[in-house]
Order: sequence, then C-alpha cells, then structure tokens
Amino acid sequence: MADAPAQLFPEFIVDTFGLPGVLGEVVAALIAAFVVGNIVLAFTGVAGPWAKRKITAAFTDRIAVSRIGPFGLLIIPAAAVQLLAKELIVPEGVDRPTWDLAPIILPASALLGFAVIPMGQLGPVNLHLADPEVGLALVFAFASIASVSLVMAGYGSNNKYSMLGGLRAVAQNLAYEIPLIVTAMSVVIFAGTLEMSGIVAAQSETLFSVGGFDIPAWYALVNPFAFVLFLTANMAEIGRNPFDIPEAPTEIVAGYQTEYSSSYFVLFYLGEFVHIFLGGAILAVTFLGGAAGPGPESISFLWFVVKIWGFFLFTQWCRSALPRVRIDQLIEIGWKGMLVLSFANLVLTAVIVGGIA
Amino acid sequence: MSLEPLDSPDADVIPERTPEELEALLGDLVLARDDHLNAPGFVIRPDTVQETLSILKEQAGYDHLSLVTAQEYENRYESIYHLKKFDDPTQEVSVVVPADKDQPVSESGEAVFRTADWHEREAYDLVGIEYDDHPDLRRILLPQTWQGHPLSLDYDMNQPQIAALPAHVNPIQDHHRDDESDTMFLNIGPHHPATHGVLHLKTVLDGEQVVDIESDIGYLHRCEEQMAQSGTYRHQIMPYPDRWDYISAGLLNEWAYARAAEDLADIEVPEYAQVIRTMGAEMCRIAAHMLALATFALDVNGDFTATFMYAINDRERVQNLLEDLTGQRLMFNYFRLGGVVWDLPEPREEFFSKTRDFLDQLPGNIEEYHNLVTSNEIFQMRTIDTGILPPEVAKNYGATGPVLRGSGVDYDLRRDDPYGYYDELDWDVITEDGCDNYSRLLVRMQEVEESAKIIGQCVDLLEDWPEDERTIQANVPRTLRPDDDNEIYRAVEAAKGELGIYIRSDGTDKPARFKIRSPCFSNLQTLPEMANGEYIPDVIAALGSLDIVLGEVDR
Repeated sequence: MADAPAQLFPEFIVDTFGLPGVLGEVVAALIAAFVVGNIVLAFTGVAGPWAKRKITAAFTDRIAVSRIGPFGLLIIPAAAVQLLAKELIVPEGVDRPTWDLAPIILPASALLGFAVIPMGQLGPVNLHLADPEVGLALVFAFASIASVSLVMAGYGSNNKYSMLGGLRAVAQNLAYEIPLIVTAMSVVIFAGTLEMSGIVAAQSETLFSVGGFDIPAWYALVNPFAFVLFLTANMAEIGRNPFDIPEAPTEIVAGYQTEYSSSYFVLFYLGEFVHIFLGGAILAVTFLGGAAGPGPESISFLWFVVKIWGFFLFTQWCRSALPRVRIDQLIEIGWKGMLVLSFANLVLTAVIVGGIA
Repeated sequence: MSLEPLDSPDADVIPERTPEELEALLGDLVLARDDHLNAPGFVIRPDTVQETLSILKEQAGYDHLSLVTAQEYENRYESIYHLKKFDDPTQEVSVVVPADKDQPVSESGEAVFRTADWHEREAYDLVGIEYDDHPDLRRILLPQTWQGHPLSLDYDMNQPQIAALPAHVNPIQDHHRDDESDTMFLNIGPHHPATHGVLHLKTVLDGEQVVDIESDIGYLHRCEEQMAQSGTYRHQIMPYPDRWDYISAGLLNEWAYARAAEDLADIEVPEYAQVIRTMGAEMCRIAAHMLALATFALDVNGDFTATFMYAINDRERVQNLLEDLTGQRLMFNYFRLGGVVWDLPEPREEFFSKTRDFLDQLPGNIEEYHNLVTSNEIFQMRTIDTGILPPEVAKNYGATGPVLRGSGVDYDLRRDDPYGYYDELDWDVITEDGCDNYSRLLVRMQEVEESAKIIGQCVDLLEDWPEDERTIQANVPRTLRPDDDNEIYRAVEAAKGELGIYIRSDGTDKPARFKIRSPCFSNLQTLPEMANGEYIPDVIAALGSLDIVLGEVDR
C-alpha cells in the first residue's frame, strides 16, 4: 500500500453516485454501513447454523447436517425460520428494560466494532467505513460494551445461574481486557499510530526476503510472543473455550443466557458469533497484516475473510479439544500471568523500538 | 507419594475369627444366633446396635458396612447390618436387629458407619423402622408427604397418595435471604446438564464456593425391590437387573442376581457358561467405563467434545459385540440361573475375530484418550487435587468400585471374593492413590485395559473349548423353591462397585425379601465430603467422577 491510502467506502459511494452535501454523506454512510453489516451478518448466518456444526462434526468423526440442500446448506434458512418461530418465554420477575436490552446491546456492540475495521478491497471498493485516528482504541471500547450486556442479562434474568454467569463475565473481562489492550499497545509502539489503516500499512513493509519472496513485517512474525499473548487474551475476551466460563454449559446451565429463548436467544447467539469474528478481525489487523495477502490488491477482502474464518476455525478447534479452566484459575492466569507478561512485552518492545530509533 | 501401600492383603493375612470366637467377643450382646448362608448372624437388642457394630469394627476388623436390609415379619421388624472386611470380603458377619412390631424403633448405626445414614433412611422410608439417634431421619426415595411404608406388610397399595400443595416443600422458594449470612441457595437439578439423570443437589454457595450440598434422590425410584419380590426366581426376576445400572452394565447386574440366587438354590454353573459370563461382563464394564470417560469429559470440557464422541464410538463397538452375543443392546436379559440363555453366535469364528479386532484396536484408542484427556495440562489443573476423598472416609461411607480404588484402597470382589472365571485368569486390580477426580478417571481407563486382557483370555479359552463340553446351562428345576427361611447376601463387582443382593426365601417360588445394595447409592453419599469448600465446577467434576447412574441409585 505504497500509494495513497484507498478511498473509504462511504466516500467511494459519494463519488460514484455523486451524492451532494451533508445529506449525501449521511446517506452514503448508511448504505456503506448496511453493506458491511450485512457482510458480517452473512458470516454469522453461515457460521452459526451450518459451519459450526460441520466443523465440530469433522473434529468428532460425525457428519452433521446433510439432508437439506447441498452439504446441508439449506439448514441456514430452515434454522432461521425455526428460531424466529419459537415462542419467546418471558420468565416471571425479570427486570424488563434490562432483560430486553441485553440481547440487543451484545450484537450491536460487536457490529459497531466493524465500523473501523479495514476489511480490504473487493474490486474498486475499499470495505472500510471509517478510519479515525484512535481506531484501535475505539474498537476495543466497542467490544468491551459486550460485558455490559452480559451483566444486564445476568442481573435482569432473575435466575441464579444467570447471575453467576454475569458475575463471571465481569470478572473475566476485567482480568483479560487489560492484558489484551496492553499487548495491543506494543503493536501501537511498532506502528506509531492508533489508526487502523496506519497499523496495516506499517505491516506491509518487507521483513526479509527468502528466495525472491518478500516476507511481510506482520507483527505476528515480528513479535510472536505478543501474538500468542494477544491470541490467548482474545479467546478469553470473546469467551470461547477454554475460557467459556460465563456460559459454562454443564456447570451453570448456560450462564447469563439461561432464561433467553426464541429471537432473544438468536440475538445473543448472533452477538457471540459477531464477537468471534470481531476478535478475528482485530487479530488480523493488529498482527496478521490486515487484509494483505498475495495477489492483486483488488481481491484483498478474500484474504481478510480467510483470516477471520481461520480464527473462527481455531476457536472451534479449541472448543472440541480443550477442557475449560475453573473461574478462580482463570482469574489467576489473567492477573498473575497474562498481565505481568503483557507489561513485560510492552516494556521490551518500547526499549527495542526506542533503541533502533 | 508414599511407597507404603495403604492396604496390603498379602502382608499379614487377616485372622478370621470363627463364629464362636465372635460370639465370645460380643459376649452378652448376642441374644441368639441367626446364621445366613453367607455369614454367621447374631441377633442383638435394638438398643445395642452402636455398641455391637463398634466392637465388630474396632476389635474384629469388620470395617465395611456393605448393606442395611430392613424387613417386616409377621411378629417383628428386623434390620440386618451386613458387615465385611475391606481386606478380605469373604469374611462376613450379619448383625440382626429385631424391632418391636407395634413400635419399631432401633438404634442407628450411623455413629459407627457413616454409610448407615442413607441406608437407614431408606429402611425407614420403605419399611417403616425408626432409628434412634439418627442424625436426619427423613424419607429418602419417596416424597416427604408419602403416607405409609410400601414394603411393610400392612401397606395399602390402593390408598390414594393425595398431598395438599402446601404440604410440599417448595424447592423454588421466593427468597432465600437471611440477615445473618450472605450465602446463596442454589438448586442444581433435577433438570441440569451435569447431573447425569434426575438428581437434585440442594447447594448452598458462598460466592462460587460450596458451603453445603445435599443430594435429593428418588426421582427415578421404580420399586425394583418390590417388583423382584413379586417375580419368580427362575425367569421373572432376571430382566430387572438390566434396568438398575442401565448404562450398558446389564450383564454385570444380572450376575449379581444370578450369584445370589444360584448360591441360595445351590446351583452349580457349568465352567463353559462361566467363561461366557466373564467375557460378557467385562464387555459391559468396558462399555460402562467408556461412557463414564465420555461424560466426565463433558463435565470438565463442556459441550460436545471430541473425547465424548470418540469414547461413545468405542462404546458402540463393544455394544455391537454385546448385541451379537446377547441379541440385545441395552436390556440384555442374557443370564439364566445356572448359565446363560444361549451359546456364542454362529459362526463362532466371526464373533471371535470381531472381538479380537476390537481388542487389537483398543490400546491405540486408549493412548489417544491419554493424549487428549489425561495428559492435557488444563485437564490436570482441573482434576488433580480436586474432589478429594481420603481412603478412610471412602471406607466409612461404604464407597466401592473405581471410587474406592481411586482412593488407593485395593478392593475388588472379582479377586477378593472370586466368582465366575476370574480367579483362573491373569489380570490386575488397578488402584491409584491420588484420592482425587483424576485418580478415579485413571482407574477407570486402566480397568478398561484389564477388562480387555480378561476378554482376550476368555476368547482364547472359548475358541479351544471342546465342542461336546459346551454346556451353557446347568439342570435347573422348572420352578425354583428354595428352602423356607434361608437368607443370603452376595455381591459382585459391577461397573460402579459392589453390587449386592440380599434374598430371603420363604419356601415359595418368589423371594420374601429382595434387597439391592447399589454401589452408586453408597458412592453418591460421599459427595458432600468431596464438594464442601470447593468451587461449583469441581463439584460437577466430582459428581462426574463418581459416575453415578440414577437408575441404580433410586432403583
């Protein structure tokens, strides 16, 4: 990306359709957000009812959905209809506005995060909604709103299992968000900017060349230690195995989502999946060179898709193979292990980068 | 780790006292002798139970209260304490405690043997004997509102069991707050993903830590004892054992009944049938332990994991062998008094080669489980040093099977009280002395390998068995009528531990009293010992490591 940074998606729409003035910008922004939002939701739609089943089945020697449509793909609309057609059971004594808002806030917070993610180019279109100077800080801020939703669900459900799940969610997020962000700061030290496009651009330089191939300076290669730290903290942040403590099926039934059914349940599930993809997107941007990959710039979106689905696959692999840690062990790993390591990483990075400079 | 074995049966042979010596030891406590077929029986006064039991435990070494049987006669009630030694279960003694017909009160043995708690509650619930000095004498299997005691003689089965709603304790009360404490009451079950059936755990939590836990059982009570009492020995009882531990341990359960009834009626089982029984029973043990591994992985990993599916897959392969052998997949009904119902499936070679294929593949699969489960660091972090059950506590609660062996106690009826063909074969009793969730799992996984060894030897034996000596059943009269007033208690090593049957005959073709000693019942009783002070996830893991089947707990 040696040239001038590509035009952002809303600006592209304004230019292409010649939309005038502030109103035009608003309309263009809405259209762009609609497109990006739907791309993410489409991932989720494929992942939830179909890919997750197929992947887990592959790990466990099963076949999973195969009857409806080719490779069972039509299970996606079937599941959508089925889930939406179910009765929404509202338990007695739930804290109404809280209980209703929680399943909306979770997917909303995760979707908001995608506003600043540079998702690469597809033809002439650069799928990047906004590129504020504080991009990286903003995406973490959006993603952490999710904990609020979990607490609301846990508190509002009038159910002890939900309450336990909600409390666990807070404890877990406190313990892991700090190492997550501190580790991300080491990337910021490398890149010298919080701007998402800047971080991606900084990784497009060549690290070294092997037999004519340029190995890019992805931070996963520059600082693998930080990458592993970030990956681990990210798993905890999005609450996947071995850190799926707030839900912990078989322990506290389903944690904060125990009392949710029908469309509210769908919203929660949706939110979780979008959150996984957002986690993958942040990982891709900060450590895996964003949407960069071999081939022309115009198909870089496909590489981005490959990266976030790769991360999704990784979460499913962990889900099939890894036991869950206990809540107190999780907190201990977070505060006594990850936090210390992430600060060590930050200081080391600062020293090295400062030394080179 | 101490190298000194906790129990060494070989080191010093436990001196067996003759019944006369025991009688002398008990002295005036003994009112009369009432010998059973398996053990000498001493009749004592109902207010000297604790004294008698503690003399037998402390001075004569009878440290295993296997079972408490209660029953009603025309002129009295009676509780029987079946005692054994963990070091040598063939040394048995029965303490017979008659109680007054009009006011059946008997002293509780709970102070001496902790396990008597639940056994006496069951006796109170079903037969109606009241136990003095019992810490918590409530009904255990039936609802607290139940009218009458179903196994007592004057019980009116047609009496409607109507209880007004307020009479029920509502487990889901509105508030559990009180000003003094900041604990939380939590119902785990009866519908909960980790209770492996309908079990209700009344849990008091301090944060995430368990302060108190109480099992509420009986949701799956199906009157198995009463049903067995109304069936004939020869054919009508055998199908019931399959329904106790229904996690494919059917043949092991059938053997418990077969052993007791055959000893009662003095039936000699042909050797060929014994080998088939041994092979089938060990197949059941593999299937049962595979399921235990699978569900334990669910409890610790959560959701559908690879371990679960792999173990179910292996279980399926044993299940297919059992289907070939018995014609059934779950309710085998394969044993008969005096043998088994039919010979191996034809062609025999095909069955043998299928079995051998399975045995050949098993070590590789077990290796895979060790890679996937036991050597996983997170798994070790979760299971090592959690759910601690010290050996003395385990013995006191009458825990048996992998639970007891996971606490380092070397006790296995297949070796210590041999039956079937086990004493002719080469295999080992597995013990682990970690006393934790991890040890119990390791014991099960290694027992699968031992079972495979046994099956392999049985297949070799069966293959070379001369064709004209393949007797699958002894000659047994069409109608069995054991002599009047004979009593016997016999146990076998089932998948979960010591599964015992007490039968009293009354000269008819049906048992007058049929009592089941369920290993899960005693094992589940240890849960508070393992759970108190631990975190919820550890309680779930401990429950999983006990490997209970509610069908056997509740019967």
